Amino acid sequence: MTSSSATAPESDAAASTTAVPATGPVPADAASPPASAPAAGSPVLSVRDLSVSFADPRGDAPVHAVRGLSFDLARGEVLGLVGESGSGKSATGLAVLGLHDPRTTTVTGSIRLDGQELVGAGEQALRRVRGGRVALVFQDALTSLSPFHTVGAQLAEMYRLHHPGAGRAEARRQAAAMLDRVGIPAARTDDHPHRFSGGMRQRVMIAMALLNNPDVLIADEPTTALDARVQDQVLDLLGELQREHGTAVLLVSHDLGVVAGSTDRTLVLRGGREVESAPTAALLAAPREPYTKALVGAALTLDSVPGTPLPTVDDPSPAPRPTPRLRSGAAAAGSGSATGGRWLVEVEDLSVHFPGRRRFPGTRSEPVRAVEGLGLRIAPGETLGLVGESGSGKSTTSRVLAGLQPATAGTVRYDGLDATRPDRALRRRLAKEVQLVFQDPYASLNPRRTVAQTLETPLRLHTALGAGERRQRSAELLEQVGLPADHLDRYPHEFSGGQRQRIGIARALAAEPRLIIADEPVSALDVSVQAQVLNLLMELRERLGVAFLFVSHDLAVVRHFCDRVAVMHRGRLVESTDRDRLFAAPHTDYTRELLAAAR
Amino acid sequence: MLSFALRRILQALAVLAAVSAAAFALFYAAPADPARAACGPRCDTGQVAAVRASMGLDQPLLTQYTDYLTGIVAGRDIQDVDGSTLHCDAPCLGYSYRLHQPVTEALVDHLPVTVSLAAGALAFLVVFGLGTGFVAALRHGTRTDRLLSGFTLIGASVQIYFLGYVAQWGLVYTTGLLPLPSYTPPATDPAAWAGGMLLPWIVLGFVNSAVFARLSRSQLLETMDEEYVRTARGKGLGRLRAHLKYTARGAAGPLVQLLGLEAGALLGGAVITETVFGLNGVGRFATEAVEGQDLPAVVGAVLLAACFVVLFVALADLVIAWLDPRIRLG
Repeated sequence: MTSSSATAPESDAAASTTAVPATGPVPADAASPPASAPAAGSPVLSVRDLSVSFADPRGDAPVHAVRGLSFDLARGEVLGLVGESGSGKSATGLAVLGLHDPRTTTVTGSIRLDGQELVGAGEQALRRVRGGRVALVFQDALTSLSPFHTVGAQLAEMYRLHHPGAGRAEARRQAAAMLDRVGIPAARTDDHPHRFSGGMRQRVMIAMALLNNPDVLIADEPTTALDARVQDQVLDLLGELQREHGTAVLLVSHDLGVVAGSTDRTLVLRGGREVESAPTAALLAAPREPYTKALVGAALTLDSVPGTPLPTVDDPSPAPRPTPRLRSGAAAAGSGSATGGRWLVEVEDLSVHFPGRRRFPGTRSEPVRAVEGLGLRIAPGETLGLVGESGSGKSTTSRVLAGLQPATAGTVRYDGLDATRPDRALRRRLAKEVQLVFQDPYASLNPRRTVAQTLETPLRLHTALGAGERRQRSAELLEQVGLPADHLDRYPHEFSGGQRQRIGIARALAAEPRLIIADEPVSALDVSVQAQVLNLLMELRERLGVAFLFVSHDLAVVRHFCDRVAVMHRGRLVESTDRDRLFAAPHTDYTRELLAAAR
Repeated sequence: MLSFALRRILQALAVLAAVSAAAFALFYAAPADPARAACGPRCDTGQVAAVRASMGLDQPLLTQYTDYLTGIVAGRDIQDVDGSTLHCDAPCLGYSYRLHQPVTEALVDHLPVTVSLAAGALAFLVVFGLGTGFVAALRHGTRTDRLLSGFTLIGASVQIYFLGYVAQWGLVYTTGLLPLPSYTPPATDPAAWAGGMLLPWIVLGFVNSAVFARLSRSQLLETMDEEYVRTARGKGLGRLRAHLKYTARGAAGPLVQLLGLEAGALLGGAVITETVFGLNGVGRFATEAVEGQDLPAVVGAVLLAACFVVLFVALADLVIAWLDPRIRLG
């Protein structure tokens, strides 16, 4: 059971599919939909005029998630289904498996799997298709694997459901062999999902999906929840297995970067309709539609020019910045005339420990060392990027700087004053001069307060403005972030995610801060919205001279936005240097690995 | 696991100590003079003083409490009002001067009725509550859902002394569908035991099932949207089987917790049910003790009820941990 070549399902039904070679990119001229020619023979999956609509629970007009979509998936082909939230890409994947709730969802059109119609097919027929001939991999393996059963048991169940004759022992053997194939040792088959890392869990998910050697694999954002390095490993594994088994893959993703490296052909969706579809390389190199152009342009890579305005759907080719932003930490600190060359923030030897679990009453617990011996500096007006994978301690660091988390040891100096033990005056200054922008624009605005109320609170706390002046200042702030002033009396739910993040930024600006701590401010946003918000932040930074601590796991975004970058790994600082130096010549192996994964 | 059990037992002991102290304090805060109550109305002041001395009530409070605790752990000798001394065995909860019997003995006499009643009612509660909750969740938003929710709401809003008498009138006296509620030891005649307890089981179970049914419906509905349930369906599992294997497991935690509390509460004695159906359980024993100002018996019953609650809540925690491997005990 330790043999790495033991691919479990080959024993039964592999003969028909393993012979099919992996398909390379199809010629560019074959790309016009829906007639996009499959590489060889008839397509394994053929979707025609597919529409999916959800009934509104309050009885209003139904929501059309997919409108008249058609595409073909050839045997062994990898098709990328790309779109932003609400584009209907996930609904398409679920429709293939008939997994929508029939009482609230209407699916029309045709989905043919090897000629067999799936739309309107009976539950019995669909159950044989699900997991047997079409398998699914979801975004977050932590929530999509059952937390109550061991990974081995979950795979074995998958096997037995489609091999009615197989006994428990046989199913367990097949499960273990498949887990071994994806790099999960046999000794761990009896572990529960929560004992695995995110990448390992997604391997389990992939092993389960491919266990019955399906014709089609639908991978819905399979790597979105993973760190870049792990994301690469998982995509590589997926590609390897896909070639080995000749499985056709429908790769659903919002991330053009993911699609770029791993698909033959890409179909761009917007509002449930196809925008364009072409071989991936051709689509990325020369997108035809303005929307695709914007999407491709907005997706930052490590090759884009840092600090330039990004193309958006409304403005696909923005004017370049008149003067390039050039700043290095030392230079900025030296030229900071107002502060006499002082650093705005100096962090020395910072450690943050959280109490661990006590195993027995009265015993001493081992603390969790979230941050250990960290040193950082931010000059006035400078943007420092704080980079690291999940669990590296970057959010904890930013919480200490915001005064939300006491330090276990070390000092934090703000404008030369000790901010770890602030007096009243300094505490007031910090509350005004250090502001926060959060990741989730849905959770970080109070849903029961209008925009005006949200914006006026910091004005009331930190300025001497009267009621009328506060209102006027709120209107100015709203316009500053690109929203009309007459939206002041609306509630957060009336805005889109990108607009909400703008309101969050306006709230941070209200107190006229000198430092904005932004913890993953664009990670929850779609690419095109992310571009808009980044453009806004760059413009505001230039105009107001605010310093930023920009926490992110996304190296491309950090490279584009930040002057200097600090890399964290397991609570410690790995390296900290100018952006250009870091990306051109990283000092440490860890940084090099991170960069390689982001390529 | 071991450290969890250890900590849980320490915790339980702390709770029980607090309850016993509170109950013991009640002994003294009560307007009744236990000595006068034990002696009877015709005693003169001297006789009452003698009785007080024999009961140990003239001792300092702390001494009495430690004596009481010692009695629970090791047993002790107790003087009756008439001056005779008798030994009260290990879990000694004091001596009832009204019944002239150790409290523990009296409680043990009444316990089988209460345990029978609680076990049957709980079984009904689980089957009925979970059943309606499951069907309502599966048929969420339909007429069946509304009907079942309405039906369980009746259970939540109706009083047991009303439903008990109505059911007894309808099912026993008028139609004779069920025998008159009575307690027969199951060892003597299992059929008579089950028959006699059936109506109390149904009534007590039904009235208590409303909260359980509503919670199971909402828990199941919430869990049905979990991605691992969708994965299970994506594997080719049928809807019902996916829900039974995955949804139910995911929804179980709060239900087991509630069940633990219910079990503890019911085993402490269902006063009204016992009264309505004329069953002589711990609940009846406790009410009679209160009426008769028999404070040792009251304190004993309170402690027993607290024991059951603490025990079953801890048990529920263990079951939850066993159901969900993510919960680390310790």
